[in-house]
Amino acid sequence: MLPLSLLNAAQNKPMLVELKNGETFNGHLVNCDNFMNITLREVYQTSADGDKFWKLKECYIRGSTIKYLRVPDTLLDAVKEEQTRAREAGRSARGAHVSGAGNRGRGMPQRGRGAMRGGPIRGGRGRGRGM
Amino acid sequence: MDSLIPFTTSGSLVDCVDRKMLVVLRDGRKLQGVLRSYDQFANLVLEDTVERIYYRDFFAEAWKGLFLIRGENVVLLGEVDLDKEDDVPLRQVPWEELLPYHRQEIAAKKKREEVKAQVLFEQKGFCKEGGEGDGY
Repeated sequence: MLPLSLLNAAQNKPMLVELKNGETFNGHLVNCDNFMNITLREVYQTSADGDKFWKLKECYIRGSTIKYLRVPDTLLDAVKEEQTRAREAGRSARGAHVSGAGNRGRGMPQRGRGAMRGGPIRGGRGRGRGM
Repeated sequence: MDSLIPFTTSGSLVDCVDRKMLVVLRDGRKLQGVLRSYDQFANLVLEDTVERIYYRDFFAEAWKGLFLIRGENVVLLGEVDLDKEDDVPLRQVPWEELLPYHRQEIAAKKKREEVKAQVLFEQKGFCKEGGEGDGY
């Protein structure tokens, strides 16, 4: 799950966007593209010092001005589940491959080296959610 | 094995996935979380992220959750040694307690940098700092 695919999967989800200048935008993601340009709806804008607030119906943010986005914690799990479902569906549609050891990653388009590792096998030495 | 992987973002970060990482941002913020994903721009996905602030031999943590960090803003990404992190001789205190000291330190640093820039400009013939002036 590449960072930008995660962003795509966050459509209609609430998020907090902080710009490089420190301003923050709280709202629901309407749409995004591969430049990380985004549109939000029902936005609360906060100035960099945190002392001024604005309410915006909808706003567009150019990707290059973003510092980071905070998305719901549940999003990663939701996306993983969705991928698993899609894989199962694809497998059964192609007619019952009995899955075995060498089968990992076949049902899913393989992305960069890193993308797979966050997949079915979690944990490693990281302190995840204890899974 | 090392030599088989070229020095690219993807090459250097594969081994860091699913590990607890420290990320330092250009604004000076320090985040710790589990690296779940990244791309060629070093955009990062950090899960279970906490922000840490330090003052003298104290530190404080604030829970932040799931982050998507735009690569441009990353200064440093380093693995946290889980065996050693508990031996660090720092004392954890509540966030609200440490925050004023932390803010004060940032303000003092900013002031110092301004004075320094002014002296360099007026007496040493340096040009003025451009824009951000955060040294990165």
